[in-house]
Amino acid sequence: MSNFLNQDFGSDEEDDDFNPVAAEESDVEDAKPQKRRASPEDAADDVKYDRDDAEDNDAKEDIDDDADGGAGDNDENGDEDEEDEDDEDDEQAVERPRKRRRGGVHSFFEEEAGVDEEEDEAEDEEDELAEFGTEMHPDDLDALPAGAETDDRRHRQLDRQRELDATMDAEKQAQMLKERYGRNRAAATDALVIPKRLLLPSVEDPSIWGCRCKPGKEKEVVYSIQKRMEERPANSRNPIRLISAFERGNIMQGWFYCEARRQADVTDALEGIAFYYPSQKMTLVPVKEMPDLLRVQKSEELMPGGWVRIKRGTYQGDLAQIEEVETNGLNVTVRLVPRLDYGMNDDNAAMLGPDGKRKRATVNKVRPPQRPFSEAEAKKKHAKYLSATSGLGGKSWSYLNETYIDGFLIKDMRVQHLITKNVNPRLEEVTMFARGGEDGTANLDLASLAETLKNSTAEDSYQPGDPVEVYRGEQQGLIGRTVSTRGDIVSLQVTEGDLAGQTIDAPIRTLRKRFREGDHVKVIGGSRYQNELGMVVQVKDDTVTLLSDMSMQEITVFSKDLRLSAEMAADGQLGIYDVHDLVQLDAATVACVIKVDRESLRVVDQNGSLRNVLPTQIANKLAPRRDAVATDRNGAEIRNGDTVREVYGEQRSGVITHIYRSFLFLHNKAQTENAGISVVRTTNVVTVSARGGRHTGPDLTKMNPAMAMQAPGGGNPNMPPPRRGGRDRLIGKTVAVRKGRYKGLVGIVRNADDEYAQVELYTTNKPVLLQREILVPKDPISKQTLDIGGGRPGSRVPSYSGSGAQGGGWQGGRTPMAAADSSRTPAWGGSSSRTPAWGGLSGSRTPAWKNDGSRTSNPYAEGNRTAYGGLGNRTPAWNSGSRTPHDSGSGYDAFASGSRTPAWGAAGAGNRTPAWGGLPNSRDQRDFDDAPTPGGNYSAPTPGAYGAPTPGASAPTPGAWAESASTPGGAFSAPTPGGLPKRGGYDAPTPAAFDAPTPAMGGIAATPGAGYGDDDGGPRYDEGTPSP
Amino acid sequence: MFFLKEETKVITMHPSYFGPNMREFLIARLNEEEEGRCTGDHFVICVMDMVDIGEGRVVPSSGSAEYTIKYRAIIWKPFRGETVDAIVTSVKPTGIFTLAGPLSVFIARKNIPSDIKWEPNTVPPQYTDHADQVIEKGTSLRLKILGVKPDVAAINAIGTIKEDYLGPL
Repeated sequence: MSNFLNQDFGSDEEDDDFNPVAAEESDVEDAKPQKRRASPEDAADDVKYDRDDAEDNDAKEDIDDDADGGAGDNDENGDEDEEDEDDEDDEQAVERPRKRRRGGVHSFFEEEAGVDEEEDEAEDEEDELAEFGTEMHPDDLDALPAGAETDDRRHRQLDRQRELDATMDAEKQAQMLKERYGRNRAAATDALVIPKRLLLPSVEDPSIWGCRCKPGKEKEVVYSIQKRMEERPANSRNPIRLISAFERGNIMQGWFYCEARRQADVTDALEGIAFYYPSQKMTLVPVKEMPDLLRVQKSEELMPGGWVRIKRGTYQGDLAQIEEVETNGLNVTVRLVPRLDYGMNDDNAAMLGPDGKRKRATVNKVRPPQRPFSEAEAKKKHAKYLSATSGLGGKSWSYLNETYIDGFLIKDMRVQHLITKNVNPRLEEVTMFARGGEDGTANLDLASLAETLKNSTAEDSYQPGDPVEVYRGEQQGLIGRTVSTRGDIVSLQVTEGDLAGQTIDAPIRTLRKRFREGDHVKVIGGSRYQNELGMVVQVKDDTVTLLSDMSMQEITVFSKDLRLSAEMAADGQLGIYDVHDLVQLDAATVACVIKVDRESLRVVDQNGSLRNVLPTQIANKLAPRRDAVATDRNGAEIRNGDTVREVYGEQRSGVITHIYRSFLFLHNKAQTENAGISVVRTTNVVTVSARGGRHTGPDLTKMNPAMAMQAPGGGNPNMPPPRRGGRDRLIGKTVAVRKGRYKGLVGIVRNADDEYAQVELYTTNKPVLLQREILVPKDPISKQTLDIGGGRPGSRVPSYSGSGAQGGGWQGGRTPMAAADSSRTPAWGGSSSRTPAWGGLSGSRTPAWKNDGSRTSNPYAEGNRTAYGGLGNRTPAWNSGSRTPHDSGSGYDAFASGSRTPAWGAAGAGNRTPAWGGLPNSRDQRDFDDAPTPGGNYSAPTPGAYGAPTPGASAPTPGAWAESASTPGGAFSAPTPGGLPKRGGYDAPTPAAFDAPTPAMGGIAATPGAGYGDDDGGPRYDEGTPSP
Repeated sequence: MFFLKEETKVITMHPSYFGPNMREFLIARLNEEEEGRCTGDHFVICVMDMVDIGEGRVVPSSGSAEYTIKYRAIIWKPFRGETVDAIVTSVKPTGIFTLAGPLSVFIARKNIPSDIKWEPNTVPPQYTDHADQVIEKGTSLRLKILGVKPDVAAINAIGTIKEDYLGPL
């Protein structure tokens, strides 16, 4: 407005013209003609004119009202352009050479156009005052009736008119009004509310012609027309018979419109108008399209407490709260969160350019962050700019010519410098304005905020199926679900109340979404919590507090930003990355995502440190390994899903979400920080519980009846070890070599098969192939021998199992050995074994052998049967297996006394089988070796077995002896006695036994001899032996 | 709320179980697998009895047998609005975690009466109104379930003690 004082026709005025408050103030327009009409001098003359105008005017207004939904943007565009110009003007202080006169009388035209021509009449009134008083165009003066040249007079006229009106009684007044507006269709109807469609132009109304002009000069053309109409008013000799002229600014560039009854009138009126292109044909606007020409959007009504944004400047885009709206609706006092640097950044504040002028601050200066005003900071460098003023409400500061109250910047602004539509204040922005609120929301005027938001409710914020509530309007209280949305009308199906089931339409601004506590919702927009999922914990009018699934934090958002969500998992994804994903940051670092922002991820890496990373910084996402396994501190196996607890430190516990090498990423729902994720080392945790749902399949050891039967017996040591497929267990083990040229060396088995193992020796570092047997597994550190059960897969010892089947009788290492020598008879095997037994057998020097009953006597040595005997003696199984009842009965005896000669005798005698019979003859071991033929083998042992028990049995049972006596093995009996001398004590029973058989033997002299010889010992036996 | 529910389950038996005790095995297995299970909708508290153990069908190629067992079980399905007693498992500035049987219920700060304040300086930390009401780990609470969020194999719920007759017992 600064220009205004200098220029009567200041460009500033134009700006005002374009303020968006315009179009709908119809009462102002109404007032205008009336006021004009009030001058009694020209009343008569004017009446007709007025009536026409009034009629048309009314129609236009109605159109405006009707159409006020649509064209607001256009207006705004226009505004912005104008403002740009305005700024230029301000800067350059050069006024545009735009001539514009505003005759009081004919200001009518602008109003009629009613689009951009603002209704800031209240303000313009003053302008007019000045104009009227000082400078009046001669034409205007002509046009004006006498006495109309001073504004003062006009006011008095108006006053008088009003007095007159007041004195008239109402009925009369009504009559007069009706008379005056009687031709108006709208007024003619009695109905109070006239359907708007009746107010639309019809063919009887004046036509509108669109005419071409130079683009950008539309306005000037209209002004020219206006000027011409002022020059040639309706009552003049050559009147302009245009009813109105207007243009649509930017949206219809190069066009302006004239309203007239006849085209000739238009042509006539436009003759010689600058920038008008008469050569281009003017077009008649179809009646249907007329309303569209004048469609405007109702301008925003600004209310104190509402929210706006600043269009430009330091505070561009910042949210501001309206403190006060001046009555003209043009100037607004707003409250802003200051962006001040208190001179901290302009070190060159005092720097002067060479011309002595202060340099302009660099344009690209970083914008200071929004912070409440702090006088302390301001005092630091800018004390001279700061002054305190104590206002009514409290202390305010004046700093750099701006006023700061309560830390906020209070600033007067023009409406056109504010964004009033789609402000969309975000809650976090708004909280900055909350005064004194502890958590920021306490003092928040959420109602006004909600109001602002309501106006900007995006259409897509309501989707079919949303539960909504009508909270104002005549259908207040209705509850339903949206069915469809069209523009800002929502169809909803009522779900509760009397209207349940019906579908009704409601404007979006009367609706709000409805949530119940406990609903699972998703934040769909409008705040930084977008895409957050959570459960509603509190609903208060329009605000909903929800508990985020991810962070377990309470979030307060507007219900319009929420939607019921069926998604169960914690949502929030950034591309492929999701919360709790494991990602690889670099070769050595992995991290777990704990928060997904819109553009970055927050992760906690394996060392427990937090970082923000961009998706591009992530090498890749590690797919969860379901089979990942680690061991805890106690060596117990832990897997994903197990619950573990830290042993030291904070004793954190949680469910394992990821296992990475020796790091565990635990998730603990009760922990809010880091989205519940913590990192621990495997060695620091103990298992609390294995994953409950871990399905292990049928537990045969527990439930299989076969297994259960075995279990009580303490397990069967001879149970064949479970066959292990796959990797040889020896591989990777540290072994020592037991034999051969590498004896004593230690190495690691690299590969192994049934027979050989490839060993990498520590010393040579060269793999050598060695027999498995000569390898002993060692502990890599302590070098102690380890026992690897079933050291080799597929043991070569079939007899192992075989013997197992035969019972526990075959104890000791010999048995397998025997079996190992597969083709040999067990006896032989026993003898072949390296155990002392063998020595005993051969040398019979070992007491053990004696105990075993195998005499050292040569006969035994010769007679391999001894071996049998020995074996037999030792094998109760054999006893039990024996078919002779008495044998078995005495089996143990035999065992106990197994070493007794008679037993041996019996053994010898036991060889009833021919094979055995034959054997005795071939006494040398070679022969026996030959015996191994399977058949022989079997037959051999069997008798032997019998023999074995028999001895014991034989001792008591004469019969047995008899048998034995009868055997040709009498020869054998000879050796037995041979052993006699050594154990006299035993002899005692034997003789008797022998005696008994001897008779049976009868024919064989030796036997009796032997029998007797028992008493005396070997000699006699010896004698006997030769005798046969 | 507790219900007696009839349900059906298919149990696959390894051949090694085939035998005279088969039935016992089946029952043992059923109990083992079902009791304490959470379907995301309810918790199976206890298997009452078998209504019907169907005929086993040998699954081709594996030798296992499938049994379709109809059984009745006591289940607990938590409902919105249900009042339950729970034990506090942990107390955080954001709220209280409790366990109502198998169900974990979270009571947000907003759902705690405003006079019961977070007191982090005590050991252990607690919510208290500085009178007789103290909520710390192990406290028994009566709460009302506000919402139930089913998961795949778990149920999470939020609750409130901001009503009459709710709170520490």
